[in-house]
Amino acid sequence: MDSAWTAFDSETQTMLQTAMNDPKRVDMDKLSNAIVEQSLKDLAFCKDAGRLCYTVVQAEARKAASSVFRRKLLNRLQQEFTARVEIRNRSVEEWVCVVTFICSVFDYIKVNDAPVVALVDPIYDCLFRLAQPDALMNEEEVDCLVLQLHRVGEQLEQANSQRMNQLFYLLRDGFLLQQDLGSMTRLLLLEILEFRASGWTLTETAHKYYYSEVAD
Amino acid sequence: MSEQQRYSYENDCKPDENRNKGSSRWSQCRKRGADGSLRKAEEDPGREQRCSRRPESFTTPESEGPVSRVKSWGDEVEAEEMRSDVRRDMHRYRRRILAVDVPQRDRKISSGSSDSRDSRDSKDSPGKGDIETDETVLVRRQKQINYGKNTLAYDRYIKEVPKPMREQGVHPKTPNKFKKYSRRSWDQQIKLWRVKLHAWDPPAGDLQQIEEIDLGEIMDFELDVECSADPDSQCASANTASLSLTEDSFTGTPKKMMKMEDAEMS
Repeated sequence: MDSAWTAFDSETQTMLQTAMNDPKRVDMDKLSNAIVEQSLKDLAFCKDAGRLCYTVVQAEARKAASSVFRRKLLNRLQQEFTARVEIRNRSVEEWVCVVTFICSVFDYIKVNDAPVVALVDPIYDCLFRLAQPDALMNEEEVDCLVLQLHRVGEQLEQANSQRMNQLFYLLRDGFLLQQDLGSMTRLLLLEILEFRASGWTLTETAHKYYYSEVAD
Repeated sequence: MSEQQRYSYENDCKPDENRNKGSSRWSQCRKRGADGSLRKAEEDPGREQRCSRRPESFTTPESEGPVSRVKSWGDEVEAEEMRSDVRRDMHRYRRRILAVDVPQRDRKISSGSSDSRDSRDSKDSPGKGDIETDETVLVRRQKQINYGKNTLAYDRYIKEVPKPMREQGVHPKTPNKFKKYSRRSWDQQIKLWRVKLHAWDPPAGDLQQIEEIDLGEIMDFELDVECSADPDSQCASANTASLSLTEDSFTGTPKKMMKMEDAEMS
């Protein structure tokens, strides 16, 4: 979690520290906004941000028996999600960060050990957008799409298998029919198709194909 | 849409309007509406169901098309948490009552008895089929319990009187949300429980400024309306500045200090 800490300015770091020990004293509005704002700028941060958020959520639950931070965080995320079209038009990098962050939150924050159902459809909406022909032309969007499916695909499928099926129709179509895709994109799509087909894992041979260095 | 259906939607969660049409919770006991017309038997089977059948989208003159009824993620996750907490409580409760030995008693327990008091008889008797399992009801009851437990009085009470020392009838006891009660009976139990808890209110003249507000109606409001946006009850526990309310509807003498549990009524 070191990278997560250092991403923040000292004021936010102090807030985080306090949130772990004495949550009642922290302005959760400020803290949640600071975290989301940082995430919109920093893709590397986003990937693990969910874990940081969850530790704050748990600390607040244990020490203050409240869930203000979780509520503020999710509502702020919802704002970003609602504005996703504008965000993507403004900056694809920011859009990709939004998706990554929401999925990271979904991955880590659980409600009585169950995933947050409220996030399932929004995440699907994002993934569907990423699977559109124009998005498949951008390597960063394809990258984001396959990464999220690796991390939370299985959970998403359990929550709503019908939408996952629909998503994969799109992915198959994109892979087969879209002429102008880069080879990297095709590789990523093929891998995720195989990954899901093997039950959200890769067989040993498939793993060797995709992930080991070519011998000669 | 049929008259009946349209009427149902319009009367969702507004018990203070159209009382004569029988949308309030009391009307299910009445055979006729106030206008004299016979009410059909199945008209008010479960207000909770009507509330949850609110249309997902609606079109207003200003909107360009259907506008979805968007819930905030914060609220949704809290609702999920309440439901899963209540389900977990239910499993625990079931295990607990199945483990209890039922001693034979000479007295007959009348089947129609509604017990506002938690007598030892009724504690032993609920079989598997006799507990409340409707999640909507359980969640509503849990919210009402949470309002009560979120008070300074309750905090002081549980510190002062540990469970083994509590005497039946003397000390307030949290109503058991898993027992089958009518809506009226339950709401009354909650009121009585809340009143009893006031005996542990912090003494008057405490640090905070005391304002007297008659919020008896709001007390009823929070018990009546099922589908209102969930008030920020987390805020209340952290909120040490308390306003005092008088609950004239419950006791003759107004009490000086009560904690206001709804910091925001949104």
